[in-house]
Amino acid sequence: MEQGVQVLYNVAHEPPLGVWIAVYFYFTGLSAGSFILSTLAYGFGLKKYKPIGFIGVVLATVLLVLAPLNLIIDLGRPERFWHLFPYLNIKSPVTWGSFLLTIYPINCLIYGYFMHRGNDKWTKITGLIGIPLAISVHGYTGFILALSKARALWNTAVMPILFLVSAMVSGIALMILVVAIRRLFAPPEERAQYHEIMVDLGRILAAAILADLFLIFSDVLVLLTADTEAREAALLILTLDFSPIFLGVELLLGSLVPLTILALPDFNRRMGWISLAAVLVMIGIFAMRYIMVIGGQSLPLS
Amino acid sequence: MSVRWGMVVDLRRCIGCHACQVACKAEMRTPLGVYRNWVKVVQKGRYPNVSLSFLPALCNNCENPICVRNCPTQATFRREDGIVMQDPHRCIGCKYCIASCPYDVRYLDPLKRVVQKCTWCHHRVDVGLEPACVNACPTRALIFGDINDPESEISKVLAANAVQVLKPERDTLPHVFYIGADMVAMRTYGGAEERVEVDWVRWWLAKLGILRPRAQAGE
Repeated sequence: MEQGVQVLYNVAHEPPLGVWIAVYFYFTGLSAGSFILSTLAYGFGLKKYKPIGFIGVVLATVLLVLAPLNLIIDLGRPERFWHLFPYLNIKSPVTWGSFLLTIYPINCLIYGYFMHRGNDKWTKITGLIGIPLAISVHGYTGFILALSKARALWNTAVMPILFLVSAMVSGIALMILVVAIRRLFAPPEERAQYHEIMVDLGRILAAAILADLFLIFSDVLVLLTADTEAREAALLILTLDFSPIFLGVELLLGSLVPLTILALPDFNRRMGWISLAAVLVMIGIFAMRYIMVIGGQSLPLS
Repeated sequence: MSVRWGMVVDLRRCIGCHACQVACKAEMRTPLGVYRNWVKVVQKGRYPNVSLSFLPALCNNCENPICVRNCPTQATFRREDGIVMQDPHRCIGCKYCIASCPYDVRYLDPLKRVVQKCTWCHHRVDVGLEPACVNACPTRALIFGDINDPESEISKVLAANAVQVLKPERDTLPHVFYIGADMVAMRTYGGAEERVEVDWVRWWLAKLGILRPRAQAGE
């Protein structure tokens, strides 16, 4: 049956979504992660994390202002972006996003304002309101991929939760780097406190990486045993074009190496090693976004 | 009952002349490099037992179109008669519909920067003409008509033949029905039919200049 099959003529249109979309997913993930870390102190009263509260919300806001710019750049007609509001379609995940991407940064600004003014009661309230918003703003990006049913790599139920967990992973890594930088400029008596936070964040990061790895494992395993298109999607990242970046960058460099650093006693208390793990994790999560967006579209449909 | 347009592609009659594709280009004046319909051609077998399989592809004007569901500005919508329309003035070019369509029949117009697609020549259908591709088909392999009218040719053809649609598992309920479509033509290939396995360790070593890239066969 398979003998001598040769495609003589076919049309394949250009992949619609560019690398801007991967950058967008990366930024919203970082933003959601930073926001949730910032609420540890001000929403849940974990006093120890107070030093990262304000910087967390500043990062969350800046990233969430930058993120939608990527979306607008990627539009064919950027000057028409306002059509998203008057002509909205409530069934479309993109419409969910146009509202979340408006409400979430506004809430971040209010939360940051109250935190700056030292109003603990309203900081806590806006912080707690922000948590479901932060989860939605990144969770919906997972639904964007999962609900565009043409692409086998995207069309899985694990996608939204995978996006949320990877958002936490990259958000914690970003926060570790921020704390490392702040420690450099902190007066000597405060350095020990930043060191403690870094070691703690390193532990949380290790747990988050483990959860992320489990979700990736479960995703790939089910893709391999589902229908033909799903199997093609799994092979694409395991043995075909995207395997160097999936196996080499996302899994080895971005997950297993940092996990080893964070698991080894001694290493997981040293600032330099924790920072290195955080940098690797951030590279790895970007690779994951890239594989999802670009790799997912590289599977032929015609 | 109201009108529901449908199309039958009878591959027993198709000779792979691409007249439908040329007619569409002429009718819609689609820019270079993008197509609203095309005829996929796949060769199979070994001499002397060889044959060509054709698969004219176009928008399926689905009953349950995922593009309509996912369009954030309602720029794409389904008419009462089943034609899935695209409003170029409403579209913002977010391309989410292209990402969602399982048939790769939507494209971003490279000149107007909005999404476009086959609408079964609604401008012709509305004045009682057939779509341009159907009109051009020399062997009458393309049959267009009202599937709700029991007296129409398409209804009779649909009732009397074994038909199938593309990717029925996607639950889009396509309304382009194929008679005698070949498995090797229905499978997706994109541009290439060969998959090349990558040794990821070697790939990185070559990339980093530690290992010389392996010479490709025939070089």
